[in-house]
Amino acid sequence: MVQAIDATTGAAMPHTGAALWLGVRTVRNLRKGLAWAWLDTVCQYRRSKIGPLWETINVLVMTLGIAVVSSAVIGGTVTNLIGYIGLGIIVWSAISALIGEGTSTFVRNREYILSSNLSIDFYVARMIFRTLITFCHHLVLYFVGVAIGLISLHWVALLAIPGILLLFVNGFWVITLLALVCARFRDVELIVRNLLQLAFFVTPIFWDYRHVLTSREYIVDYNVLFYFLEIVRGPLLGEVPPARYYAIILAVTFVGFFLAYVAYRRMRRHLAFFV
Amino acid sequence: MSRVRIEDVSVRIPVYDASSLRLLRMPSFGLAKVGTRTVSHSGAIFIIHALSNLDLVIEEGDRVCVIGHNGAGKTTLLRLIAGIYPPSSGRMDVEGKVMALLGQNLAPNPDATGYENINLVANLYDWPKARLPEYIRDIEEFTELGEYLSLPTRIYSAGMHARLAFAMATLQVPDVLLIDEAIGAGDAHFQEKAKARTRDFISRAKIMIMASHAIDFCRAMCNKALLLANGRLVFFGDIDEAFSRYAELR
Repeated sequence: MVQAIDATTGAAMPHTGAALWLGVRTVRNLRKGLAWAWLDTVCQYRRSKIGPLWETINVLVMTLGIAVVSSAVIGGTVTNLIGYIGLGIIVWSAISALIGEGTSTFVRNREYILSSNLSIDFYVARMIFRTLITFCHHLVLYFVGVAIGLISLHWVALLAIPGILLLFVNGFWVITLLALVCARFRDVELIVRNLLQLAFFVTPIFWDYRHVLTSREYIVDYNVLFYFLEIVRGPLLGEVPPARYYAIILAVTFVGFFLAYVAYRRMRRHLAFFV
Repeated sequence: MSRVRIEDVSVRIPVYDASSLRLLRMPSFGLAKVGTRTVSHSGAIFIIHALSNLDLVIEEGDRVCVIGHNGAGKTTLLRLIAGIYPPSSGRMDVEGKVMALLGQNLAPNPDATGYENINLVANLYDWPKARLPEYIRDIEEFTELGEYLSLPTRIYSAGMHARLAFAMATLQVPDVLLIDEAIGAGDAHFQEKAKARTRDFISRAKIMIMASHAIDFCRAMCNKALLLANGRLVFFGDIDEAFSRYAELR
């Protein structure tokens, strides 16, 4: 129910003013996105007995399968590997949902974009919070792991909270940027999905990054997703991530939001034509 | 004070799939009985000139009925005013809060119940929390949906959607209300109620712009008509004259 200028970019404003204004608006819109995502989850529970927990079961099955195979191929015992692999897959499922499903956010909300003048933050925030709610469902597995003694509990685990926060905050620019670009250039969505599959193998999820050959360490070092994975998984396994990881992530966050802002300024007004 | 001012505005809609649709040869749209006939292309993108050089001022208290053939640009005009489509050229200026009721419904989540959707819309559109119970009673009373409000909205008929959407869109008395044809899905009884509500609404001096083909409904709801043909403004003013011009067009 906002005025025309509100739904678009505030194009009349200078860049710094517009960026600040967009930021404030986005934060204010988060609560609404949460309400929407919550309702989505409620409806999911209504139609199936355990709702998003089906996905959690999926994660559990994947973890068990990969842990067994990994221990056979790479070595180590299943019980030692299972915490590392399980948490890896839990965090990965959030990353891949944010990136993979994020690409089609606007196209999926086509009907609403074409018929209302709501801010597009709502669709992004809805997607973020839905992923977050699903992620919280998956975290149940972590507590089960702690309860049955597969994972030991540390105070360090609390450091995972800022990690999770950083992960989902970054989801915001990733979705805004990718969903805008993918609405216009439909090929990009397929490319992103392809790369995401590759990333699952390249990122140390089911193999230990400490076992990588020194000459090939760049595989891990230049993989941004690794840092996002590690600032959540590390603390939960009782390891404090190096400050360097956080520095890299803050830099990525800054650059990412800048890119998303540029894309928003350039493409937002034409979004209705793209979808 | 609310006003819609449009100066020499054109809206060109790009069709990005054109290159794979073999439309690059620039087919003749002269034979098409609907839509605009002005098209062009730039590179692999095919462009429909949905609205061309539109000049229009809609003042407070105007209830405008937009008429024209299918594809004449009615929905494009509404989307333009709503800020969904940007003008490709020209200047436009909308003063006041805009509420757009385009498309089939306003319920964001078809799997959620009517009440849940009302609450969500209240949230998305910043309805004051304190007045929500009063609003919900108003919606119950206006839509007469009864128990259906406790069921998922995906099972609603088109008319039921129209009732719920119209009730929600007119609750807050926006400065500019835009309504697409979907509202016509309501039955005669609903249309009576909608007329009464619009009278009340307009007594508070706001702007309403609706697209419709039904002359009776149009006459009851509006005080002006706007005739579009092939993306151009043909006539803006008296309803009867607009409809007689519309008849001549065919």
